[in-house]
Amino acid sequence: MRRHLLLILIFAILLPAFAVLIVSGIGLLHHEWAMESVARSYVQDMAENLATRLAGIEARRWGGSDLTSLEIRSFRVFTWGPSLPGWVALVATDGRVLFSSPGGSNLAQIWRPDLPLGRAVEVKNEEGDLYTIAVYPVSGGDRFVVAAVAWDQLLGPLVRVGRLWTLLALFMSVGILLALWALWTWLIVPLRELVAEIEILRWGKDLPSSAEPLAVGEIGSLRRVLSKLARGAVERTALRNRYVNDIVRVQEGEKSRIARELHDGPIQNVTAMIQQVRLSRMAGGEEETRRHLALAEETAQLVVRELREMCDELSPPWIDLGLEQAMSGLANRLSRHYNIPITMEVDDSVELSHEKLLSLFRIFQEGVSNAVRHGKATAMEGHIFRRGGSILFEFEDNGRGFDPSMNYETLRISGHRGLANMLERMMLIGGKLEVTSVPGEGTLVRCIIPETEEEMPL
Amino acid sequence: MPIRVVLADDHPLTRAGISAYLAQESSVELVGEAEDGLSAWKLISELKPEVALLDIRMPGEDGVAVARRVKESSLPVAVIMLTSYDAQQYVLASLRAGARGFILKTATPEEITRAIGTVAKGGFYLDSEVASAVGDRDFAPEALSAREREVLILASKGFSSKEVAVQLFISERTVQTHLASIYDKLGAKNKTEALLLALKYGVVTLEELIE
Repeated sequence: MRRHLLLILIFAILLPAFAVLIVSGIGLLHHEWAMESVARSYVQDMAENLATRLAGIEARRWGGSDLTSLEIRSFRVFTWGPSLPGWVALVATDGRVLFSSPGGSNLAQIWRPDLPLGRAVEVKNEEGDLYTIAVYPVSGGDRFVVAAVAWDQLLGPLVRVGRLWTLLALFMSVGILLALWALWTWLIVPLRELVAEIEILRWGKDLPSSAEPLAVGEIGSLRRVLSKLARGAVERTALRNRYVNDIVRVQEGEKSRIARELHDGPIQNVTAMIQQVRLSRMAGGEEETRRHLALAEETAQLVVRELREMCDELSPPWIDLGLEQAMSGLANRLSRHYNIPITMEVDDSVELSHEKLLSLFRIFQEGVSNAVRHGKATAMEGHIFRRGGSILFEFEDNGRGFDPSMNYETLRISGHRGLANMLERMMLIGGKLEVTSVPGEGTLVRCIIPETEEEMPL
Repeated sequence: MPIRVVLADDHPLTRAGISAYLAQESSVELVGEAEDGLSAWKLISELKPEVALLDIRMPGEDGVAVARRVKESSLPVAVIMLTSYDAQQYVLASLRAGARGFILKTATPEEITRAIGTVAKGGFYLDSEVASAVGDRDFAPEALSAREREVLILASKGFSSKEVAVQLFISERTVQTHLASIYDKLGAKNKTEALLLALKYGVVTLEELIE
């Protein structure tokens, strides 16, 4: 029911309007017919009456001579005319008017020899005025009584006033129908189209058609809002897909990097160890045997070192020793790895959960790697301290710096995920990341972690 | 007359190991060592050794690409792939590129010498470890029918079942049946394994496959 309510409402207006249109149309016709029959019976009666009376007079006179004008004048109707606007006349067979009431001279304009006898008809004169006219033969048939009423003299206003309400109703219903048509074309149809479009719209995938509909302004606004929302949804989906893609790509990249490192390092070195052990067995002298075994041992040491470094990098076990040890340890390790001095000062009173520590750890790893690889830094300093209810971790390098107005998104898409990763890490633990850098003057990265455990709105 | 050999491996320790193996062998003479693909190709084209031992993963150009160059330039050099990977796909890729042998870096000196001797004589050598991954050494397979051999050779050239069916004017279903029978006879689990086993047991020759 609710689903079709709009259609029902439209029909609720349409049907009465249509009914009024039909009824008033019929009423108009009936009114027309009624007027016509009134006019007809009037002229018919008048003509018949006069013809009978004239015949009566003539019969009394026996002589059969023509009526005198005196006798004619005794018919009030000939002197004063009929009570309705119109006239009567006595006409000879050849159309000659013998007597007529005032205005009867008009007869010449409408007289036609083929007018039927004894029956009223409508006739138009040359100017288009309508008359209802009746012709009756006076006994013997050598003369006729003609009676006529003119519609636009008195009947006219009568007709017009009588028609007025019907016409008004007619115009009103036509107006309503036109308004309904407009409502249908400019509101209902675009609305239904919009609804149909929304119903099949795959949210986050499709965009609604952007064509401005020929409709009321509100539909246009609705469409614009919908279009905006849909575009937002599509963008969010794209963003999420990109994000998932990134995660998968990073994971795959990491896996193949680890595989590559295992292949190029430990596997080759263990292979070399096997070779040396075999060579020691094949060796001729004791000294040669010892040389091969020493080489094998050395290679084994190398393998252990390589594997330990890989472990450290994958998930450093010594991160459990606490913030100070973890960060200083990392600084030392990175310092050795990149062969640049890296200092780390940690405020003893600062304590961080494992999760937050791990974030700072990764950010520092990433930051140092960025500073050395992209910034060509030759020294770095890190500080962890407390300020105004927040824990701050700052690290600074003396590298080339960059333009920090660079969009993180652009960096991320172009494969420079370092900064984007750092930013995401901080967001994950409810912190903020600020990067201050001037080309040629190094870079300062500041991580701000609020000390109170309140969830940041995502 | 010792067999002249060129060795290419980017990892210095394993290269030193292999070269020490070869130094002990009087039947083999190591005439050159390279640590990347391009210098390996240079050495091969200059020295024209009888055998080239190529690592698959090398900077610049990998061993498979060098093997392909050797094949394309029709040098009389037998290539053996020397690698840490025992993936069958690698074996197949190497063979398609024209390699005549495939051994792992962990192979014993005897095995390496045997491989060099085999390919120098025009034979085909598959590392026992790769081979044992695909079957028992002493297994004697039931002979393949002529049709089955045809199917196997086409399939191992990389044609799909459908394409094999079109070429042999048989239905795809029949091709599948033949393949199932081949797997069964050779004890293989898939197409690659069937091919390697067929090579190993001498059911098909390398020439038939890479033509």
